[in-house]
Amino acid sequence: MKSEHISEIRAIVGEAYVTDAPAARFAYRQDASLFGGTDAAVVVRPGNTDEVARIMALASRHGIPVVVRGGGSSIYGQPPGVPGENLLLDMTRMNRVLCMDPQGMTVTAEAGIIMGRLQEACNSAGFYLFVPAAPVHTVSLGGWLSGAAGGGGIWWEIISITVVLPDGTVVRTGGGPGTSVRMTGAYSRIMGGPDLTGMFIGDGGSFGVKTEVTVRLLGLPGVTRAAIVVLRNLDAVLEMMRRHVARVNPHPFDPLLVFGPGANELFSADEASADTFTVMAMMQGHTDAEMDARREAFAAIADELGGEHTQELDALADMMARGPNEESEMEMFGLGFFNSLGVAAWLPFNMPRTRMAEVYPQLVRWREDRLLEAERRGFECQARFEFMAPSDQCSVTGEVDAFFKDSPSPELRQFVRAMIRDYQEFTHGLGLLDVYNQGMMSRLNAGSWSEGYRALYSTLKKVLDPKNILNAGLWLDRTSDDGV
Amino acid sequence: MSDHLKNLRVQAPAIYSCRSCGMCGNKMTSNVPYVCPLREVTSGFDHFYARGKIIIARGLLEGSLEMTPDLAEAAYGCMLCGNCMTQCGATDRTTAEPLVDTVGIVEAMRADLLHEHPEWVAQGYHLLLAATRQYDNPWGTPRSTREKWCRGLDLPRTAQDGTGVLLFVGCTIASTPALHARARKAVAVLRSVGINPVILGRDEPCCASVQRRIGALDMARDMVRRNTKALNETGCSEIVALCAGCANMLANDYRSAGLTARVRHIVPFLAELLAQGRLALHHEYARTVCYHDPCHLGRHMGIYDQPRDLLRVVPGLRLVERPASGPNTLCCGAGGGMRVFEDGARALEIATVGLLSAREAGAVEMVTACPFCELNLDAASRSMPDGMPVLDIIDVVHAAVEGVKE
Repeated sequence: MKSEHISEIRAIVGEAYVTDAPAARFAYRQDASLFGGTDAAVVVRPGNTDEVARIMALASRHGIPVVVRGGGSSIYGQPPGVPGENLLLDMTRMNRVLCMDPQGMTVTAEAGIIMGRLQEACNSAGFYLFVPAAPVHTVSLGGWLSGAAGGGGIWWEIISITVVLPDGTVVRTGGGPGTSVRMTGAYSRIMGGPDLTGMFIGDGGSFGVKTEVTVRLLGLPGVTRAAIVVLRNLDAVLEMMRRHVARVNPHPFDPLLVFGPGANELFSADEASADTFTVMAMMQGHTDAEMDARREAFAAIADELGGEHTQELDALADMMARGPNEESEMEMFGLGFFNSLGVAAWLPFNMPRTRMAEVYPQLVRWREDRLLEAERRGFECQARFEFMAPSDQCSVTGEVDAFFKDSPSPELRQFVRAMIRDYQEFTHGLGLLDVYNQGMMSRLNAGSWSEGYRALYSTLKKVLDPKNILNAGLWLDRTSDDGV
Repeated sequence: MSDHLKNLRVQAPAIYSCRSCGMCGNKMTSNVPYVCPLREVTSGFDHFYARGKIIIARGLLEGSLEMTPDLAEAAYGCMLCGNCMTQCGATDRTTAEPLVDTVGIVEAMRADLLHEHPEWVAQGYHLLLAATRQYDNPWGTPRSTREKWCRGLDLPRTAQDGTGVLLFVGCTIASTPALHARARKAVAVLRSVGINPVILGRDEPCCASVQRRIGALDMARDMVRRNTKALNETGCSEIVALCAGCANMLANDYRSAGLTARVRHIVPFLAELLAQGRLALHHEYARTVCYHDPCHLGRHMGIYDQPRDLLRVVPGLRLVERPASGPNTLCCGAGGGMRVFEDGARALEIATVGLLSAREAGAVEMVTACPFCELNLDAASRSMPDGMPVLDIIDVVHAAVEGVKE
């Protein structure tokens, strides 16, 4: 990148928030994935929407490739951009809660805020964001919306997004100031025009740089109850899911988490659990009586399906329960738990609930075959983790992960990278799509697009980003015709 | 084999145990306002916190990154407080020890940089090492001044019966006249329970903690070996250290060198005497205080309850906690040589945040148990328009034993 361009950027954001020093830049070459971060010529930490707009305008004028990074927590890597030439926007300095509106029940925050910080701010004000599947201590709000919102509940709660388009134009989507110049705040996503908010969700950041987001809030549920039962087979699990979602949806506070046999091994030394499924129902609401009634309703379904209780699991459920203003004695697994298990082959899935009985066993079988190959090559699998949860009425999200004993050897990482990639090709071959629109996964998802969808994406991208400077190469090959 | 990156190579297992998830830089809960205090007071680029440093270390090991002058900012921009290790939460499933030893990785990075490119390391660190070579302490105070604090106390220099308690004062207290009273108070408290401690006076060696933390690992190893022999020759069965940094170093780095005495910081030593009913804290100390956990004592030695046990029984004393306390305590800013990094400016900024947090919790005094924390917090307090007194816990215990109000 030309030094005069770096000087211009320094003038926009201030000297301290621009670095082209080799070690500092190198720290962004990795993220939480095995697929790598961004090879940047310069890293910039903008402080507000105006600064982002001025930087994008400059990049657009000079054709500088731009890659956007939030918490750096992707599991499939970051957009490659143009290695060695990228201007990397590290958005995490934009981490303020701009407006907490308790009356209107919305919060507006800068997109670089880490979800845990936003959740804490909401909790302090008596509210709650429903993001059960988000790694809240590592992922940014903007990153979650761009790359992973499909599986995490918050998608439907987004009212408005402020986006800086690749040419520096600032757009505010949703029913509010963006669609009515006489309105001061966003209150509804769909009022005043087409749902352009949705266009920027799950885009991997390729249509614009998200800088501010308005989210609808839920009242903080003060009471939690848990119930845990063991089911003997997948059919019972799926029937439990069907009845559960039919009973509780659209209520968002009752996630049903199902752990497969591999996960059981992590929690219990009991060999009898080796081929069972553990179903954990979390019930969150506002009064003890309400939650006790829900727990009884869950117990009735579990009884009908032959759900079994153990003292150990009942005790665990009691530990997770809490009343108003009480701290639970137990948190759900933190990321540290998984990080302790070794190098992760994250193998997620999302599919129609109705296809689970057919497809899920194939996914587990695929993993087991690959683990045999790992064993032959001397890579030690330390843990398996199967997990599934209804993500809404229709679909199920889950994982069939494997964790390998650490090794500095590049062969292990190559093996796990290939395992992740091959698994996704296998699942795409079965007609599934992944919830993550990040790095290499975006390219894979795009490979399944229909002709019309691909044409629409390419048209939008060309209109919004005619020089293809923003997150180039994320969805489509940077040099191909339809990749702009 | 070349000795290029010889220290980082030792840390390879820890480096490759990091999953680069970023929790070490981004976690936030009601008890963890943030993880890395340095990231909060700098421009916040990733090389200022653990994930970025570990990615850099991996790049160096794999040859995809070469050493450049700016590596010094990544290597020395760290308090070695270990909060990132605590908040990471990844542990060895067998030993339950943290899986990613960020402190060890950063110390190794410093060591390799200091060894291979000393010209890129700030002059202040070289001055500490030069002072150590000349005076056997990092502060450059002549040996003859090291026993000024104990003049007139008539303390023994060797254990008479092989069961003595050696009071290890440490370079910082011995070299800082303003802290001499602290050591004398510690002696008074020990004598109040019938212990007349052994001291080494002018012969007390530097424990080598500072040298190790700033990357002079070879120098530190030599000092440990030499000091172990001298400490064993005192015949004492127990070493009680006044400084948290010394206590951590003596307890964790000297055992493998053959140190025979049991090592404790004075806080758990006194807490045990209190529990045994031998230490009586009966004079009133009517203040609302906040206890700052020194990283060396808390996160690195696991001592959180004992200082609070001592403070809670002092009549009239009200103990308040900041949201981030105990294992979540944010470093005072002085750890890991930060008083040298950027001439100590960042250390003071971090300390100021800690003091403001204590004030919000209702404290009128800050109490700690480490001279590094005390000096840095005190310096920050003096730079504030409405700072607060910063004390060592020995000051409070002494006041409660003898009825002397500071």
